[in-house]
Parts: sequence; C-alpha cells; structure tokens
Amino acid sequence: MAADKQTKLLAKQLFKLSVVNGAVSPEQVTGVLGWVEKTSPRRPIALLKLYQHLIATELAKSHARVEHAGPVAAATLGAIAAALTKKYQRPVTATAQPNPKLLAGLRIRVGSDVYESSVAGQLASLSV
Amino acid sequence: MSNVIAQIEQQIAQLSSKATKKNTGVITAVADGVAKVEGLSDVMYNEMVSFPGGVIGIALNLGEDEVGCVVLGDVSNLKAGDEVSTTGKLLSIPVGKAVLGRVVDALGRPIDGKGPIDAKESYPVERIAPGIIARKSVNQPLFTGIMAIDSMIPIGRGQRELIIGDRGTGKTTICVDTIINQARINKVGLASGDKNFRPVYSIYVAVGQKQSNVVRTISALEAADALQYTIIVAATAGDNPANQYIAPFSGAALGEWFMENGMDALIVYDDLSKHAVAYRQISLILKRPSGREAYPGDVFYLHSRLLERAARLDGKGSLTALPVIETQAGDVSAYIPTNVISITDGQIFLETDLFNQGIRPAVSVGLSVSRVGSSAQIKVTKQVGGKLKGELAQFRELAAFAQFGSDLDAKTKATLDRGSRIVELFKQLQLNPIAIEVQASLLWALQKNYFDSIEVKHIVAAANSLKDFLTTRKADLLTKIRNEAKLSDEIEAGLKAAGDEWKNTFSAK
Repeated sequence: MAADKQTKLLAKQLFKLSVVNGAVSPEQVTGVLGWVEKTSPRRPIALLKLYQHLIATELAKSHARVEHAGPVAAATLGAIAAALTKKYQRPVTATAQPNPKLLAGLRIRVGSDVYESSVAGQLASLSV
Repeated sequence: MSNVIAQIEQQIAQLSSKATKKNTGVITAVADGVAKVEGLSDVMYNEMVSFPGGVIGIALNLGEDEVGCVVLGDVSNLKAGDEVSTTGKLLSIPVGKAVLGRVVDALGRPIDGKGPIDAKESYPVERIAPGIIARKSVNQPLFTGIMAIDSMIPIGRGQRELIIGDRGTGKTTICVDTIINQARINKVGLASGDKNFRPVYSIYVAVGQKQSNVVRTISALEAADALQYTIIVAATAGDNPANQYIAPFSGAALGEWFMENGMDALIVYDDLSKHAVAYRQISLILKRPSGREAYPGDVFYLHSRLLERAARLDGKGSLTALPVIETQAGDVSAYIPTNVISITDGQIFLETDLFNQGIRPAVSVGLSVSRVGSSAQIKVTKQVGGKLKGELAQFRELAAFAQFGSDLDAKTKATLDRGSRIVELFKQLQLNPIAIEVQASLLWALQKNYFDSIEVKHIVAAANSLKDFLTTRKADLLTKIRNEAKLSDEIEAGLKAAGDEWKNTFSAK
C-alpha cells in the first residue's frame, strides 16, 4: 500500500464524504466510486485500496464477529448486538463464526477491541 | 492426591468467567527493533504492548493511522499480519535487594545463570523525576577512592558527575574503582556496627558495550568481592537498539527503589554516547524528524529526564549518577557531550595526552569541575587538600618553562617541584581505590614537605611505602581520622610521629 501523502489525504477526504450520521452510506460510496471512475485521479489503485481499507475499518466498528466453540443461540447473538450497540452508541450487528480452538466460551471482536471470554484465552493469560 | 485435585479446582476457580477487554492491532512492518502497528486505537503513550510469542514492546509513536512500537526482544519471529494487543500497563522491572549481585538485561531478567530473581516489588521503567520540594541539597560525600577526584573534584551523594574522555582513557576504570570503593566502605561500615552508617549500593548499566568488556567488569567486581553490593544491567552491542535505549531507565528504576526506601545508591551509565546512538537509530526508523548530527529533537530531554532522576531526597535516600560520555579526538563541544555537560553537576575530563604520559588516572584538573561536591567534602580533605587545585593550576601554567630549569627563580622552581610531586602522588593503579583516611594522610605528608627530599621519580614508591606503613602499623590513627573526619591537634601529632618514623625507615632504591 505504497501511497504518497496526497493520495492518503484524498482517500481520507473521500472516506469522510462516505460517512453520514456516523455510519457508512452505500449511496455515498457509490457516488465516490463513480467520481473516481469519471475523474481518474493520480494513482487510482493506491487511492482505492486506501479508501477500501478505511471503509472496511469503519464497517468493522459496527460489526461484532462472535467466535464460539460450542453452539450459540440466535437470542444470544441478538443480546450481544444490543449490548454492544448500547456500549458504542452506534448500531452494531453480530455474526457467529465457529472456532473450536477456543475450547469453550466466546471471543467477540468489534473493530480493534477484543472481548475475551474463552477458556483458550484464559489459559493463554495464565501462561504469561 | 486430594491436594492435587484441590490445586486444580483452585486454578479453575481463578479462571473467572468474566470477559476481559483488550485493544488489538495488526503489524504492518517490522524493522530493526521497531514495529509499525495498525489498529491499537486505545493504546496509551509508553504503554507496554504484547506481541505473539510473549515478546513485549512499548508504544512510542502514536499516529493517526498507525502506532510505532519498539520491540524489546527477538523480532525474528514477528511478521506483518501478526496480532498485537495492549496490556494497560507501563513497562516495569523487578527491584529490591534481591537483585543485588545479579546481572540482568534491560527488562530485569537474569542473564547470569544464577536462577530466577525473587523480587517482591517492581518499579516502572519510565518515571517522573522527584520535584523540588522532595529534594535536599547534596552535603554527604561519596568517596571514589581516587585521590585526584576525592581531593579536588569531590562527589556528593545525589550528585550527577559526568565522566568524559576519548576511548581508552580510563572512564570505565574510574567507575569500577568507585563501585569497588563503595563495597570496601560498606564492608568496613557494616562490620563496625555503627547504626548511622549508610551503605551505598551500586548499579552498573552497560549500554552498547562489547560483551567481553562487560565480562571483564563483572570479573573485576567479583575479584574485589564487590558484586554482592552491585547490580549489573547489560544491554550490550549485540542487543537490539530498543533494549539499549531502555537499559539506563531500567537502571534508574533499580536505583530509585534504594533511594525511595531510605538507602543510598550509585548508578553508572556506561555510556550515554552509545545510548544516544541507539535512540537515534530508533527515532530514524520511527521517521521522527532529525536534527543536528541526525539526532532527534528530544535527545536532550532523553538524557535530562534520565539524569534528573538522580537526587537526594529529604527524609529518604539518594541516587548518585556517574554518566559516561565518549568524545572523539577530545572534542567536548560535540552535540551529546555539551548536552550532558549542561545537565550534570560537573565533569571529570580524562585527557589522552596525560594517559599516554603515564599519568593515570588521566584527570585534567583544568577542565574538570564539581559544582556541588565541595559542600559534601569532609573537613579533613578540605584541610589537607584545599590548596591542591591552585597549586596544580600554577604548575601547569609554569610547566612550559620547566625545560629552562636552571634559569628559573627559586619561587618558580619550588612551584614546579611541588606540582610535579602532586602529579606523581596522584598516580594510582587501577582497581586499587584508596581509603579517604589514607588519602588524607598522604596529602598531609605532602603539605608538610615529607616528600620534598625524595626524587620525583621515587614519589610513587614513597607514597606506596607510606600507605603500607600507615595501614599496617598505624591502623588506630587511620580509624581515628575516619571517625573524626577532621584534623585535630591530636591527629596531627599522631601523623607527625608516624611521618617521622616512616621517613627514618624509607629509603628510595
């Protein structure tokens, strides 16, 4: 992702345009992509990669990936999404992802935050 | 068997079901002990971060998009894409008396093969220096055992005295001698049973030194039985720059424990030139703006915040610092030397020319100074050595005329004679510190002209002879000088009798 300062700046500006009321707007993203296609700015690949990265990071903040070793009920996922929506003050959705390495319990990843409540995580903390 | 079950149950009970939160990021690049990390949105400045494989690092650069972390450990297993997490803790190292006699790395982990360190406490490596209110002025002496220093450039407990000179001029030797002298004084003091005696514990921080040099220092301390009062922090030339950068701060944390707990400690930073070079390397990789000699703008703050941690605290102990700086071709006006000179309370400048002339320790009296040490000097040293610096300065001024010896007036000749005898008397073998009472006796003998009739080339032998005579036959007198710390009529009479007796027995061969 070798981008110069100007490309980074432009990617950030485009990203800001894509966020409406604290959430990524699909319409705005379509608009931005159209503008890039039409105007063909300098280093378009680097620009789009940076833009994609910023959008993905932002989307990750509104999405909880719930890793689990055993079964997880839909109600539990709903409760997790509700609790995180309250905590982060923005709509957060939750999706389940099986991970047998956890042994038991859950690991929830929202953006760069990780909530660890798995046996594997606790065993790892004991070994430090 | 039931015990084992109970132990496992206890362990399970400790595994609380409560979720723990950590902030994570992903490594985007690793280079020379520095990792660039994306994410870590909640990381704090100087916070310890955890890399895979139990490697730890410190967040030093908090940028908008990425965090620059110095990696304190093996970077060879780290790769782009690895997860990094915050710990919520500042970097700390084990402190206390349990660390005495041990050799540790920059993180306080033992590297001497003597097993784990049973330390009860840990101190943060980075700490704000004590404030003005907590401090007390320096007024207690710290004897180096080197006559030229103790008599002319005295050091006090809590002082920062810079040792500066070119390579191979004896900087480390002065520091090791000082550590050995503290151990010698500690043994005498503790054996005397004096309740007011305050031992001085030493910390030697080797930064960017060759491993062979560190081994030599350890061997010298072991041979002198001084290691039991000493901690060695080693971040040698083979260690990554992050460890070299953090080692002096770890040493300071070790010293602060003694200071905070009402004890006195001495810390040697050997050397801060290499420390600055390690910091420059880290800063350049972190893409911090470079300034003079490519050092970052905060290289002054790097050393000032380190040296400000040495202090004498009111109602507590003290931490005396002996930072070492290596100059290039005697240039004390280079960037790092001038920085450290301005931070410290004086400097001991070692000259290559003097060293090559055989004047060792090669202390340059003209360029060396102790700004606060004179108030810490004991009375007896002031009484016998008060005029020495002036006499030596006059001698240096007139030395150029020495070659015209026969044409000089009597006063000039006398000044030259006295000066050359002082220079000879100050010659001292390495790893051979002299007790302050013996130093005072030798200087008294010099002031009372006991060496005047002895040829200059025999002064060293005469001084050694007098030293042996006093230590073997006049131990009571020496003890009296040490305890009273001033030249009373009785002590002076004793010295006169001893001097006369020695003079009759001494014959220069």
